[in-house]
Amino acid sequence: MMIEIIQQIINGVAIGGVYVLIALGLTTVFGILGIAHFAHGSVSMFGGYLTFFLVVMQGLPLLVAILIALVVGVVIGLLIEILAYRPVRNASHINAFIVALGLTMMVEGLNLEFFGHEQVVIPTDFSHVYNFGGVTIPELRLYVIVSAAVLIAAMTIFVDRTKTGQAIRAVAENRDAAILMGVNVNTIPLVVFSISTALGVAAGVMVGALFAIAPGIGEGLVIKGFAVLILGGLGSIPGAIVGGLVLGITEALAAGFVSSAYKDVIAFVVMILVLLVRPSGLMGKSS
Amino acid sequence: MKISAKTIVYLAALIGFLALPQLIAVKYYMHLSILALIWVIAAQGQNLIQGYTGYVSIVQAGFLGIGAYSTALLGIHYDLPVWLTILMAPIVTALFAICVGYPSLRVKGHYFAIVTLAFNMVIFIVLMNFTELTQGEAGITGIPKPGGGRDGLINFHDRQVYYYFVLIMAILMTVVAALIARSRIGQILVSIRQNEDLVTAIGIAAWKYKLFAFVSAAMFAGLSGALYAHYQSFINPEIFGVAQSLDAILAVIIGGSGTIAGPVVGAFFVVFLPEYLRFADSYRLIIYGLILILATIFMPRGIVGIVGEAWGRLTKKA
Repeated sequence: MMIEIIQQIINGVAIGGVYVLIALGLTTVFGILGIAHFAHGSVSMFGGYLTFFLVVMQGLPLLVAILIALVVGVVIGLLIEILAYRPVRNASHINAFIVALGLTMMVEGLNLEFFGHEQVVIPTDFSHVYNFGGVTIPELRLYVIVSAAVLIAAMTIFVDRTKTGQAIRAVAENRDAAILMGVNVNTIPLVVFSISTALGVAAGVMVGALFAIAPGIGEGLVIKGFAVLILGGLGSIPGAIVGGLVLGITEALAAGFVSSAYKDVIAFVVMILVLLVRPSGLMGKSS
Repeated sequence: MKISAKTIVYLAALIGFLALPQLIAVKYYMHLSILALIWVIAAQGQNLIQGYTGYVSIVQAGFLGIGAYSTALLGIHYDLPVWLTILMAPIVTALFAICVGYPSLRVKGHYFAIVTLAFNMVIFIVLMNFTELTQGEAGITGIPKPGGGRDGLINFHDRQVYYYFVLIMAILMTVVAALIARSRIGQILVSIRQNEDLVTAIGIAAWKYKLFAFVSAAMFAGLSGALYAHYQSFINPEIFGVAQSLDAILAVIIGGSGTIAGPVVGAFFVVFLPEYLRFADSYRLIIYGLILILATIFMPRGIVGIVGEAWGRLTKKA
């Protein structure tokens, strides 16, 4: 029983790591622009698809394929910011949200056009399974957990310790004051979109290798990402990390011990319960 | 003169809707018009919470589903007459909406949108997986039409008859929406959209009004879902997902949010436009998305808003 619980928690950490990566992208974009970047999941899936395509069709090594997907993904992220979100920056949040929905449709349509309807799995050579006293961890899952942890740490350090990170926090805190202090508020969103899309593509590759990529997966993923934000508190980076792990582990435990069909229902119920007790999320500032 | 111009437009629209079945030769367009009228009801509901109150709810299609399944299941399991179950569907939906609205309305803005979206996913997953009750993905077949069989007094199996039936319901619900919007309640809803803190500060229990708007929106959806179920005779969870809730939001935005005519225009738009884009196949999604983005950037007040503005300018000059 104990082993079974530990097993499910480790599974939960792997999927939770993916959720954290998605949520970090969403939370920084939200912090800077106040936009619910709904197309984020579809862009992430585009990255996963592209990696699959480069590995399987072009025969490129996995790491090279991921690097190309990251670059292409970042370019798409930048185009989205400049062409779609910038024009509605000062409009009401409903309008920005609709633009995000339109973008989601466009990116999903592009994915269908380029990569078709088939479900794909990114092939990897990581087939070894480690066994720690009865708890089994597939090599791939371990790499996913480690690389997610590295990316999360890098992101946190970047935002906390660097000059650009400071500027990002400044704009999130108070846009007008940041402008007065000489922060270029046109380049900061570009930086944020580059980082968030790169993290999203990484998450897309992980989903593609761990599970599968198919039409509609991206939307499911972005909804989970938002659930994480609600759990942790909108705009909060520590909140995204805690929320993502809580959601991932809850889901894995629910799937393992209650019902895999209803695991999402249980995850959402947990989110709603947290919201009832702490409307600003687990790590959000209580207002 | 100002009022009469508006009245003329409404009368012209009414005559247009009444004459539509005579003008449409293609059966398929008749089918789409019926779907659009059913969507008008759902969109009018969505407009109450989104357009007037300013809370973007993403659960309207879930409520549509609850209405559709209520009327179908009540009919099948309790052998109740169709008319009765159509009336019960919005009531059942309202009960669910109270349970959903109470926790959701404790938060605002994006939080509210995402929480309602989560509820839509929950409804969808339950409809998919609670197969003992809902038959899951296979869906429920053989949902009867109102008014008995084909030889009843009015034959609802006839498309034209069903068209006029949903037309009457759509007009009725549009009038109800207009009455709510023009009442004191409607004014308070608009004030909540503009400044909720102020509304609370002057001693109005804003949460009561928000819950009223939310539950009313759900009742509109419940009725709309019931009409859909009896029209199609078949339902499965497919059309009660998040994507369709987004359609309801788009109908309000594209048509013109916070107006009575907006959801009518918007409902026809979201039903017909994807059909016209069908020729483009997989480009359809891309074009649909692009139209949405351009519409939001360049005409944020919707079609009705643009037309109203243009009309205002014309009459001013004259």
